[in-house]
Amino acid sequence: MSTPALELSGLKKSFGKAEIIRGIDLSIGKGERHAIIGPNGAGKSTLFNLITARFAPTAGTVKLHGENVIGLEPFQINRKGLSRSFQITNIFANMTVFENVRCALLWSQGYKYSFWNLVNSSRDLTEGADAILDQINLLERRNLPAGTLSYAEQRALEIGITIAGGADVIMLDEPTAGMSNSETTYITDLILKVTEGKTLIMVEHDMGVVFGLADRISVLVYGEIIATGAPADVRADPRVQEAYLGAALEADH
Amino acid sequence: MPWLIAAVLLAIMPQIFSNNSALTIMNQMSITIVFALAYNMLLGQGGMLSFGHAVYGGVGGFACMHIMNNSGFFESIPLVILPLFGGLFGMGLALIIGSFSTRSAGTTFAMISLGVGELIAASSLIFVAFFGGEGGISGDRTDALPFFGIEFLQQEQVYYLTAAWVLISAGLMYLWSRTPVGRMANAVRDNPERAEFLGYSARWVRYYSFVASGFFAGVSGGLFAINYEILTEENLNAVSSGIILLVTFLGGVGFFFGPILGAIAFTLLQTVLSLSTELWAFYAGMLFVATVMFFPGGLAGLIMMHLPALRLGKLRLLFIPYLKTLLPAAIGIFGLAALIEMTFHVRHGATGDNEMTLFWTTFDSYSIVPWLVAGAITLVGFGIARVTAPALKDAWNEANTAQRAKS
Repeated sequence: MSTPALELSGLKKSFGKAEIIRGIDLSIGKGERHAIIGPNGAGKSTLFNLITARFAPTAGTVKLHGENVIGLEPFQINRKGLSRSFQITNIFANMTVFENVRCALLWSQGYKYSFWNLVNSSRDLTEGADAILDQINLLERRNLPAGTLSYAEQRALEIGITIAGGADVIMLDEPTAGMSNSETTYITDLILKVTEGKTLIMVEHDMGVVFGLADRISVLVYGEIIATGAPADVRADPRVQEAYLGAALEADH
Repeated sequence: MPWLIAAVLLAIMPQIFSNNSALTIMNQMSITIVFALAYNMLLGQGGMLSFGHAVYGGVGGFACMHIMNNSGFFESIPLVILPLFGGLFGMGLALIIGSFSTRSAGTTFAMISLGVGELIAASSLIFVAFFGGEGGISGDRTDALPFFGIEFLQQEQVYYLTAAWVLISAGLMYLWSRTPVGRMANAVRDNPERAEFLGYSARWVRYYSFVASGFFAGVSGGLFAINYEILTEENLNAVSSGIILLVTFLGGVGFFFGPILGAIAFTLLQTVLSLSTELWAFYAGMLFVATVMFFPGGLAGLIMMHLPALRLGKLRLLFIPYLKTLLPAAIGIFGLAALIEMTFHVRHGATGDNEMTLFWTTFDSYSIVPWLVAGAITLVGFGIARVTAPALKDAWNEANTAQRAKS
């Protein structure tokens, strides 16, 4: 068996006395599309922030491609091939759509902190950024300030920025939050398209998206994973139904 | 293209304004331009508010003065490369200070910059050997190796030296903003967290900007040393740091050319206005407050605001409404200025000196008539401006609308 793309063991996080993440063991294989679901306040976003070093865990390890990444800074983890989006849209609002994507390409194209290259004279950068814009269907918005895009477009741009660097582990935090049905379908298709062949880990509330996208699902309740498995198995799990799905499904009807 | 125009303009300016005081003003402008652009690498492009940036220019300048006084070395280099040494020393200081001050932006950075600025300004009175105490350090620029036979005795020669450095520095700073690290400086300014998740350490990006800014601040210090041949504690202190913030903001932090406009406008204000009134700093302060409150984009922002109307070819629609509103407003401002000057004269004039001259009229500031006249001018001026303002607003909207819907 090959090394999992992401492996969490005994991961814990407390804020003061409140234990938010209470010991998580999870292994996500290469190329897997994994969804993390759970009721509000279950700690899904916290779990994301622990993996991406936005917060330091209280205990436990996070291994990316078999390498422990605890103690690294976010930018170091990113350079090892993990990229994420945010629950609240997190783009460079004052810069143009094109520049947003181009900034996301700089490091992966090896420019580092260069001050002897001009970004405009690099064809690789321009073409690379345009290719990403084409993928996320924002070519027409290329030269607009990112802050003026519609909400759905900003979310699409955020996904574009997240995948642009060529990371092979993509983490999306509620990519369809606050969207209409048609927008949700659009973003779901987009995610399928741009994460082709990559490992995808996403937090999502919309069950339609989750069951449509995910190979495996983990259910997080009060900081613990109560079930992990294929969508059908998870749906059939009585504990899951009790804790979460029941309520959510009822609410749907 | 704008660079070519700037170069030509810099080249012919001394032919138009050839007297020494004009040259001095233009040199002052040039030095301020380099410094303000360097400052804007932090404020506008990197999102770092510094309250102590004068020290990098000052230390660069002091280093140049010491080189000037080290005759053995100074005689072996042409004067034209002296600002480079200023830059290197400014950069050296920035390398040290930046290593801890750029760890975070925002208030932490601002407070550290203020503290370090005060520290170095205060040590100018302690380390007399380097800073020369209260008297400062002076030297003679003509001791340098003649540059193609030029000894820089004349003001005009110094002007061309300064102008060349302005052009080079501004060009390099512009190019910097087009490099990967320059682009990421903008990204870190807007959203440091996102930048971190793109593989860039926000801290390192800030550090690079800071060091580059320190270099160009040092260059401006070197130019100051060449022009004035003396540096004192004034070049380091918080007042100088505050002025450069004011200049940069006045010009507009959002555009690369903003600080250039700010430096030109402020220097004119400082030199021309200070000839005619003792209260020039008061007016400069009012202008600054008005800029912050009403035009946060500064002069550059004000100009760029008209770009959409220009693209639509409707700029001329604004001309008459502008005239109708801004002319009375200007008259109102003059009236207000007259009131302020008269108050100042009454409060601070020597006893028995009741006569004052204002706008080419001489009158007795203790009699009631001038007060009434000035008051009336103020009221009428602002009154008309107020009445015509809505029309200007309509014209503005009209000029910025692509197609007017026919009703």
